[in-house]
Amino acid sequence: MIKFYIDSKEVTATKGESILDVARRENIYIPTMCYLPKASANASCRMCSIEVKAQDGFVLSCNTPPVEDIEVITNSDSLYKERQNIMKLYNVNHPLQCGVCDKSGECDLQNKTLEFDVSEQSFAVRDQARKKKKWGVHTYDPALCILCEKCTTVCNETVGNEALYIKPGGYKSHIDIKLANCIECGECISVCPVGAMASTEFKYSANAWELDKVPSSCSHCSSACQLYYESKDGEIKRVTNESDFSSLCGAGRFGFDFENRVISKDEEAFSRAIEAFKNTSNVVFSSLITNEEAYVLNELKKKFGFNLVNDEARAYQNFMKSFAKFANSSLYNATIDDLKSSDYIISIGCSIESDNPMIKFGASQAVKYKKAFVSTIAPVEEYAISNVVSLYINNEVGSEEAALAMIADTFIKDKSSQKEFFDSLDFGYLSGESNISQEELSLLKQNYIRKQNPVLIIGEDVINHPRANNIAAIAGYLQKNALFKVMVVPPFTNTLGVSLICDLDEAKSGLSVGYNVSADFTLSAKGSGDLDMPALNQQEGTFVNIDKNLVVLNAGVAHNGYELNDIANALGVKSKNIVDYTSRLGFKTIEFDDLDNYFDNVGNAYRGYKIDAMQNQENLKLDEVEELDEFNGSIVYSRNPLRQFSIFTSDTKQLKQKMDLVGSEQFAIASKIKSGDNVKFSVDGVEFIRHFRVDRHMKGTVAYNPTYNMDSKSSNYRYNQVELEVINE
Amino acid sequence: MKNEQFNNRNISSDYFEVDIADYPTTGWGKFKRVVERTFKLELLIGLWVVLREMFKFDTHTVKYPEEKMPIGPRYRAIHEMKRLWESDAERCIGCGLCEKICISNCIRIDTKIDENSRKEVSEYSINLGRCIFCGYCAEVCPELAITHGGEYENASDQREHFTMYEDMLTPLDKMKAEKQLEFEGFGAITPHEDERVKKTPLAY
Repeated sequence: MIKFYIDSKEVTATKGESILDVARRENIYIPTMCYLPKASANASCRMCSIEVKAQDGFVLSCNTPPVEDIEVITNSDSLYKERQNIMKLYNVNHPLQCGVCDKSGECDLQNKTLEFDVSEQSFAVRDQARKKKKWGVHTYDPALCILCEKCTTVCNETVGNEALYIKPGGYKSHIDIKLANCIECGECISVCPVGAMASTEFKYSANAWELDKVPSSCSHCSSACQLYYESKDGEIKRVTNESDFSSLCGAGRFGFDFENRVISKDEEAFSRAIEAFKNTSNVVFSSLITNEEAYVLNELKKKFGFNLVNDEARAYQNFMKSFAKFANSSLYNATIDDLKSSDYIISIGCSIESDNPMIKFGASQAVKYKKAFVSTIAPVEEYAISNVVSLYINNEVGSEEAALAMIADTFIKDKSSQKEFFDSLDFGYLSGESNISQEELSLLKQNYIRKQNPVLIIGEDVINHPRANNIAAIAGYLQKNALFKVMVVPPFTNTLGVSLICDLDEAKSGLSVGYNVSADFTLSAKGSGDLDMPALNQQEGTFVNIDKNLVVLNAGVAHNGYELNDIANALGVKSKNIVDYTSRLGFKTIEFDDLDNYFDNVGNAYRGYKIDAMQNQENLKLDEVEELDEFNGSIVYSRNPLRQFSIFTSDTKQLKQKMDLVGSEQFAIASKIKSGDNVKFSVDGVEFIRHFRVDRHMKGTVAYNPTYNMDSKSSNYRYNQVELEVINE
Repeated sequence: MKNEQFNNRNISSDYFEVDIADYPTTGWGKFKRVVERTFKLELLIGLWVVLREMFKFDTHTVKYPEEKMPIGPRYRAIHEMKRLWESDAERCIGCGLCEKICISNCIRIDTKIDENSRKEVSEYSINLGRCIFCGYCAEVCPELAITHGGEYENASDQREHFTMYEDMLTPLDKMKAEKQLEFEGFGAITPHEDERVKKTPLAY
């Protein structure tokens, strides 16, 4: 703890905090232009200069740690003059187009120019010809750019894609892009303090002050990031977020127009829905559902005795059950923040590139700030994350159990409690079948030395593995031994919430009602079913996200039709609003309206509440690793491309993309197909006809098959051996 | 300060007081006045004035709608959208300030990006049924694009009466004939404005 004074107020700083951080924590104002709390200090604007008593010159508060007993002055005549001059310099040749600029009304340059009373200009320089550029989802206007470097900082540090960079050239300097690296996340747009980086789609369609801001959470993946739906005249125009502290991926930022537009209530369909619920023997639903709706379905199940079916959440539930028995805790213990501050990350069975963008962002921040060692254990090498990954370990498809068992054996020192299990491991066989060598394991072990916050990420491939129970047990055992903080990535937005709330069954014979899953009677938020339901941006409710936080969802657009609560009311499970169930979910008895959804001055998130894990004491024995299945020939990996998660992202205007089967040249040769062929194959009984495309960066004999347009997420192992049939006309 | 100058209303020597008899207070006095007025045929004097004026030809009556009063340049009637003198291009930049400032919420504007990646007004309407012709929109407009015009005949058979962008925009032929009138009301440039503008230095 360092004690010092800011404007004669006594404050204390912890190690690693800058003077600016402390000032913000203490609510003392220091103006900044380029400072971005979530990334490292750019120190390009020099607005945050301060004076230190008995010292000459100005000190940059953003990157200077305080020293014991110094007296900081945040405001003086000379500082004001300095800051005014900085603003004047920023305004040199800045186009006077505030009238049309999208940023007008929320522009840092506008605000600070007024704040420092720049009413006339005393500097001048010959302007340069600067061309506007269009880079996919965002456009760049170099004339408006003040070169604060926030965009390059987020692109390189927070997102870790290294697409944006500064092309130096004195006054001609501007931002340029390596388009191939851009993942179209729009982080650069969100942090731009002026109108230089703008969303192509949003540009010139509305002014900042006309938009109604609704704080909500993203509904596309299990990170459930904080966001604001900004709408005008009942239409969402854009999505923004607290970009100083949190991030959004491209799906969250650009995939917002998935609402279900319904003109009026369809009474006839509603009465049919009620009949269907009364007569059904199954209710099938997907995990794209709020906790409250899941709770209502569970209540209806208790009343009518139908089977509640959600295979994907049930697989997760079973995985966590088995995990809990060996971890002695009902939940995994890592969060995204743990990932960001981790210095050693192993992922297994997870597509870091696209399964959950915040894992990728977190890993790249860990690499940038903590120099983390990142290793992915997966059958495919994802080249898009090659700047993050220190060691790719390519296991054979299906051998995740062996991989995790070998990791456990490598890291756990005291093996006495599971002696039988470790004795039974035949390293020669496992190493041979999984293709993970002793050298790779010892590399993992070597890099583990002196690491403080190791994290193990368990992905969807493992959760849906045929031997998931045993893998869960080993993962739980690893968490119990405190060798790693473990994260079991929920495959879908609210898989974790559903698995905690619902009592799920297998489907039984008879009629079924589907909620966002096609069935005999379908309730659909996509507008394609028998009765229209509100989409997740039209609902109030809560999710349990990957951080085990219960986060708030608010409606960005109104819904004119019926919702699940109307059906429940008609069926005798009564409540005025769906959110009345929030306090009854079984976590904490806090009402929906009392839940927070904001960040404080220093960036601490106040989003809902954390769900506590239940502790248990069991001493079970791990099962032996069985003989591993072999996968040969053409293997298709049901993995969605970046920015695509479900039927709700598939048709949004800005995310739409072609659904191609993508594989390496090696895959094409081995499967006797070529780029441009239309191929037919079937995975788990579902027939696909896909256009095949070769990606020259890819390696190995596994091809990616996107499945995001299927209404229910599969609970099967994502790697499948397939027969490819070329069907070119 | 004394109040004399305010109390003394005889600002010109031509002013004189009219000789008006005192109002009768007694009943007899009132009766006398009634009889007097009845038999003096004062009524016919008034009728004669009307009759005389009927056959005179230089009357002051404005024969609306054949005849219309000229109105001042600052009159605030139905809005107009002006064009630039230099290029005949539309002045409106779609900033949306008129929509924001409108106190009766009668302006709606939608904008989009056009093919030259400039901001373009895609939809603009004013509900004249709601408009109170306060002139704020003309005052706030940074481009002197929206102004009030002199067209005040906006009777309609329904309360909602919309005027669209194209209707308000100065027609090109009028522009070619240089017949576009500048608005001189609130928001217009005051005389000698350019003398007060501080110029950005162009030191190079």
